[in-house]
Parts: sequence; C-alpha cells; structure tokens
Amino acid sequence: MNLVHAGLGAAVAVGVLSALLALITPRRLRLVPVGVGTVLVGAFGVLAGAVAVAGQAYSVEIPALLPLFGVSFAVDALSGLFLVVTGGVAIAVAVYGIGYARHGLDGRGVQAVLPLFVLAMLLVPAAASVGTFLVCWELMALTSLVLVLAEHQQRDTVAVAGRWYAVMTHLGMVAILIGLLVLVAHSADDSFPALRAAATNLSPVVANVVFVLTLVGFTSKAGILPLHAWLPRAHPEAPSHVSALMSAAMVNLGIYGIARVGFDLLGGGPRWWWLLVLVLGALSAVYGILQAAMSSDLKRLLGNSTTENMGLVLVGVGAAGLFASAGDDVLAGVALSAALLHVINHAAFKTLLFLSAGSVLHATGSRDLDALGGLRAGMPVTTWGFGLGALAASALPPGTAFVSEWLLLQALIHGLPASGAATAIVMPVAVAAVALTAGLAVATFVKAFGVGFLARPRSSAAANATESPVSMLAGMGLAAVACVTLALVPSVVLPAVGSASTMTLGTAQPAVSGQVTLQLNGVAGALSPLLLTVALLVVSVVLVGAVRLIAARRARRTARLWDCGAGPLSPRMEYTATSFAEPLQRVFDDVVQPEQDIDVTHHQESSYLVQAVEYRQRVPDRLERRLYEPVLRLITAWGSVARRLATGSVHRYLGYGFYTVCGLLILLVVIR
Amino acid sequence: MSHDLYVQLLDLACGVLLLTAVLVLWRRELAVIIRVFALQGLALAALVAVLAAHEGSIELGAVAVGILVLRAGVLPALLRRALAAAGEERRETRPLVNVASSLLAAAVLTLLGYAVSQPLVALAPSPATQAVAVGMTVVLIGFFVLVTRRRALSQLVGFLLMDNGITAVGFLTTSGVGLVVELGVSLDVLLAVLVLQILTTRMRATFGDTDLDELRELHD
Repeated sequence: MNLVHAGLGAAVAVGVLSALLALITPRRLRLVPVGVGTVLVGAFGVLAGAVAVAGQAYSVEIPALLPLFGVSFAVDALSGLFLVVTGGVAIAVAVYGIGYARHGLDGRGVQAVLPLFVLAMLLVPAAASVGTFLVCWELMALTSLVLVLAEHQQRDTVAVAGRWYAVMTHLGMVAILIGLLVLVAHSADDSFPALRAAATNLSPVVANVVFVLTLVGFTSKAGILPLHAWLPRAHPEAPSHVSALMSAAMVNLGIYGIARVGFDLLGGGPRWWWLLVLVLGALSAVYGILQAAMSSDLKRLLGNSTTENMGLVLVGVGAAGLFASAGDDVLAGVALSAALLHVINHAAFKTLLFLSAGSVLHATGSRDLDALGGLRAGMPVTTWGFGLGALAASALPPGTAFVSEWLLLQALIHGLPASGAATAIVMPVAVAAVALTAGLAVATFVKAFGVGFLARPRSSAAANATESPVSMLAGMGLAAVACVTLALVPSVVLPAVGSASTMTLGTAQPAVSGQVTLQLNGVAGALSPLLLTVALLVVSVVLVGAVRLIAARRARRTARLWDCGAGPLSPRMEYTATSFAEPLQRVFDDVVQPEQDIDVTHHQESSYLVQAVEYRQRVPDRLERRLYEPVLRLITAWGSVARRLATGSVHRYLGYGFYTVCGLLILLVVIR
Repeated sequence: MSHDLYVQLLDLACGVLLLTAVLVLWRRELAVIIRVFALQGLALAALVAVLAAHEGSIELGAVAVGILVLRAGVLPALLRRALAAAGEERRETRPLVNVASSLLAAAVLTLLGYAVSQPLVALAPSPATQAVAVGMTVVLIGFFVLVTRRRALSQLVGFLLMDNGITAVGFLTTSGVGLVVELGVSLDVLLAVLVLQILTTRMRATFGDTDLDELRELHD
C-alpha cells in the first residue's frame, strides 16, 4: 500500500465529507466537525508530502473522472514539500478557525468551502497533467474567492477587494492556460512526462513564450510586482484565518509553478529567464517591504510583507536558475535550498502573524495600528505570539527568516566570481536588495509590534481587549512551535529541502547538510542557529544581570515620569505607526511619493486667526497609479463607447441577433 | 402509403406550415394570429404524422400526437387566455415594419432559407430533406416577427414560430431526434411560454401596456 496514495485519497475523502457535513449540520454544531475535518485534510496532506519527500514516488491516472483529458496525479519531492507546507498551515488555521469563525463566519457556504480550499491547494502540486493542474488551480482560485468575500455584508471594501482578486487571479489563470496549452500543442499529450520529453527539442521561441506566459500567471498568484495589486487588498479584507491560508500557503503555489515549469518541464532554459525572475524578485522584495513599512493597517502590512517574502524566494529561485545555466550545480543547490527553506519559514511565521492579527481584530474590531496599543495587558498570549512572529519575520539571528536569508546571501555572495558580466552586475545588486529588505523588515516589525501591542492603549476598544478563546490560542501555539523549531533546529526540514532541490535541479547531493551546524557542501560557510541563540541568550542574561547588579547598589527612588511640565502624559503623545514610519518615508520620498493635504480654516472675522488645521496624508501604491490606472481608464472608455449600442430597446437587442444570424447565413451562402 | 402520396402529403403539410407563418406576418388581429398559430401546430403535427406513417414508427406517431396536443391545443389555449386578460389591446397597431414591407421581407427570408438549406439537401437528397428549406424559412420569419412586433403577445407567437421551425427542421433532417429530446424541448417551450405570460401580466400591471419599448425606461 502506497502511503502517498492513502494520504491523498484520505485527504480528498475527508475534505469532501467535511464540506458536505458543513452543508447539513445546524449552525451551532457546524464549526467543530468542519475544523476537525480540515485538520485531518491538512494532516493527510502532510503525511502524503512527507512520504513523497522521503523518496516514495507515486503517480495515478483516473481517465474516467474528467471528460476528454482525464485526471492524473503524481507526487515527487518538490510536490511533497509544498504538500507538507500547505498541510501544516491548514492544521494550525483549522484549529484556530473553530474559535475564530464563531462570530459571523459560521455560515454554511463559508464553512463548506474552507476544507475544499485546503483540498484544492493540496491537489495543485500533486497534479501531473496540464488538464488536472488547471482544474485544481481554478478550483483553488474560486474557493479562495468565496472565502475572501465571506464578510461582504459587514464592509463595502470587501466587494472591491473581491473584484480585484477575481479579475487578477483569472487573468493570471488565462496566462497560465495559454502558456501551458502552447507547450501541450508541441507534445504528444498533456501529461507532465510527455511535456518533459517534448521540451528537449522545443524551439527557443516557443519555450520563451511558454515560460514568460506562465511566469506572468504564477507571479500574479505569488503577489510579485507588478501583478501584486490584489494582494494588499484581498488579504486585509478576507477573514484572518483565510488570510493566513492565502498568504502562507496559496501564494507559495505560484513559486511552485515557476519551479515546476521552469526547471522541471522546460528543463532549465536560457540565462535571461532567471535574470528576469531574480530582478522581479528583488524589486518585489524591496517594494513590498517599503509599502509594509508605510502601512498602518496591520493586515495590509502583513500582506505587503508577503510580497516581500515571495520576492526573496524568487531571488533564490532566479539565482538557482542562473547558476544552473552557468553549470554551477553547488551554488544552484544552495540558492534553491535557500528559496525552498524560505517558503517553509515564511509559511510558519506568516501563519502565526496573521492568526495573531486575527486575534487582535477579534478582540478590538480594528486593524488600524494607530487605534491599537497596550494589548499586552489584556491579551498576553496574543502579544507573545505576535512578538515571536515579528522576531521570526525580521531576519535577526534568533529568528526564523534569518536562517533562510543567510543561506540566500551565502549563495549570492559566493556567486560573485561566477561567469558572465550580467551575473557580476546582478549579484551585488541582489545582495544589496536582500540586505536592504532585511533592514526594512526589522523596522516594519518593530513598528507593528511596538505600536500595536506595547505602550498605552489609544482607543477604548484596545483598552478593553480580552484574550481570545482557547482554540484560537491553540492554533497560534502550533504556528509558534513551528517557528521556534525552524529557527533553532532547521535541520529537521533540511533533508526535505535537500531532496526537493536535488530532484528539481537534477544534482547529485544536497547542498546543505548538518544536524546542529548547517554546512554548505562545496563552498565555505557554516551556521549554527541553536548555538548562536544560546550564545545570544547567555550574553543577554549576563548583561542584564550585570546591569541589575550595578543598579542595585544605589537606593531606588520612585518619582513621576518627567513630562516637560505639560501635565500627565496621554496616549495621544505616543509614537503612532505613521509617525514611526515618517523618517523612513522621508528617506524613500522619491520612491513612495506620499500625498499630503493640508486644509486650514480661518475665522470669518479675520483671516489671520486660524480656526482649524486639517492634515491628511496617504501613501498610495505608486506602481498601481502608473500601471493600472491607464489600463482601467482605457477599459472604462471602451465600456462607455459600447454602451451606445445598448439603448434599452428590446427590439434593438433582438434586431442585433436577427441581423447577425441573417448576415452569417448570407455569408455562408456566398462563400460556399 | 405509396411514395407519391407520401411526397404529396409532406409537401402539403410543409406548404401549410409556410403559409401560416406568412399569415402571422400579414394579420394584425391578435385573436386571428393565435388561430393561425394553432393551424400551424396542426400542420406540424401532420408533418410528423406523415413521416411516422412513412417509416412505420410508432414512437414517431406518439411524438406527433404530443405535438398536436401541445402546439395545436395547449399553447394556443394559453395564448388565448393571455389575450383575454389583455383587455383592450387586441390589435398589433403599429408594428416597427409595416405589413407590406414585412411580406416583402418574408419573401427575401424565404429565398435565404432555400439558399442556406441547399447544402443540407445535397448531403442526402430525399423528399423530406428537400422540405428543410421550409423549416428554415419558418425559423427566420419567426425571428423577424420577434424583432418587428411591439405587443408582447405577438412576440410570444414569433418565439413559438421559431420553435416550430426548429422542430420541423429537426424532424425533416433526422426523422425524429428521439422521444426524450423532443419531450425535453417541448417542456422547455411550455415553460418559456408560462414565464413569458406571467411577465406580460406584470408588464401590464406596471406600465398599463405590453408595448415592449416601454421597457426602455428601465435602462439606466
């Protein structure tokens, strides 16, 4: 009995069953079975993925399931890795969802779609033919759209976000569809093995078309520039556990698609493909984190940070492709391992962050950092959770992202002497971009954590916040455990990353190995996160102890805090998210181009006396302005021209049909 | 049934089919139009019955009876009921294209129908397929009625003419599209008529009229 088969089969069965269960059970009893069902779907996904990563290959064909092209699945090490990540995220999210969905999200539709969404995300990497892949991809897009729209009755902005998401995800789908069908047209059938065989004697032009089209589609799913516009809209408006699923699991599948098509199906390719991928990744990383640093909406910040992290992953993927095309298998292995490890790490800490943000939203009803603060007293566990997530996300030594970003930097730095002028220029720039990203990420997450959770509450909602129910805390706890494990002993996932990257690149041995200390095989470099953390702990304990010791010698005196004589300090005087980001905003003024608006109202009697001053500032997405608005204007203009055809007269509409039919018939008669 | 008789009866049925379609264009009284439509249903049923007798198929005979009941009985009755509820509006007063031009257009459409069906006839020449042109013409004339008549009721008749034409083409080309398909299509038509009847009533309640151009006001 093949365990991959058993795992996938059980996941499908349980997923469909829990969806049905959600439809028939009454509202009160719905959440627990759906939550448990989704946990099981995730667990079976993890099982199937883990077995596949361990080396058990699996493929199955069910020709009768879909008309014309049938269904076929195959799980190899690369698919297995993404199965494990998706399944793991789903487990934490499902546990969390039992408590989170109690208020308004326990409707029949939303609850039924959640397990299906997880299932679709598990089936996408398992698909082994173009038909199957596209069907699963579309299922994933549709189910996620339904979930994004779950709270459409509460806020008007949800519908806007849903429209953006629907349009962009489907345009991406169309690009993937065309790209893959062009590839299928040059091969025997639409199964992946046949495509691999056909790619060996594919003309470069066709290969370029296929790669660029699929890259467009997959980057739009991964939230990479310039197709990122849906991400900072849809992630904040979706329910938080859905945001976590989308941000930690769904966007990864864009990376999976690029790796699958670029490395596996097309077998590498020319250097400029990977240069393009690397440049897109680096731009997204810097731009994403810059937008996040400016944002004062907690979930929007996290969404922008997803763009950043996917950008970093793409830098790794692009570097891997670049090294592979230059024949340097060792560095390619390091770069791809870094990318895949960052996928896993990002999934862990982004799940934790979104779940904590959801907990805050659940307690205070606000995502605005400027209205939060002081949550440490009311919500200690959530505060710890978000703090841990922020540390994990900010690429500092004891954090989770540090390990993968260190690996990424190792690959890029060792790539400097690699051949080619383009590489010699791009690599240092990429190193600089990754370093800049890491620095900005620290600032961003210090802002999010410090302003959102510490200090004094800035609103009554934040002051009265109470801790979330146990199931939500349990979901966050699972994600936190994953974060800590990945930060301290990343060697637990290294074999999986190694086998996925060796399989993808076709190299002989994994590039990174080691138990406590990570060793790069073939290039100099070693890192031991566990020892590093212990050393840091020892140093800080010693430091704090010494300070205490010195401070204890003097007698303590209790006094009021110095307030410049301006009376008691009020929360209005605190740093806000906007003010914290202001220096950064000045530095990057030319890039972000904030819009400021000052309205001064004077007294009627005298224009020298000011009655009120109103100051407004927003940081719009500049790229969106430049790229999207002209296109949208064009479409609107086209639409209003087309409206002239539609006057409202039924006879006219019928007439269009009649004349068209007659015209076609006459054409038929004439041309025959 | 001898071959000659079969051809004569087939042609007669088709002739009546075409003639009734043209009559719908010619007459303005809605009551007369409904009567003509019922006659067309009869002709269609006769056409299918002739085909059934020629092929000795009992199933086709059953379909003929069904068509007779539906298109010469039930549908005209429904239309008559709608007309009775309509009150004053008993005439198609100002069609978008006047009657003389409509008849000329019908002639052109007939030519078009014949021209289009030639390739179909060439595939398998037989008395039945040669009559396909009539079915085509009825479809086109039905569409023309739909486009040019103002009253909801006459538009309904136009829609039903199209369906009659499609059914005729179906039976003439394939000698029966299968009982299940025919049953499904007929039920669809019945449902469409019921829905349209309700719509007509609603329109009258809202606008006091069933002139479809009144709907223009609904345009934003």
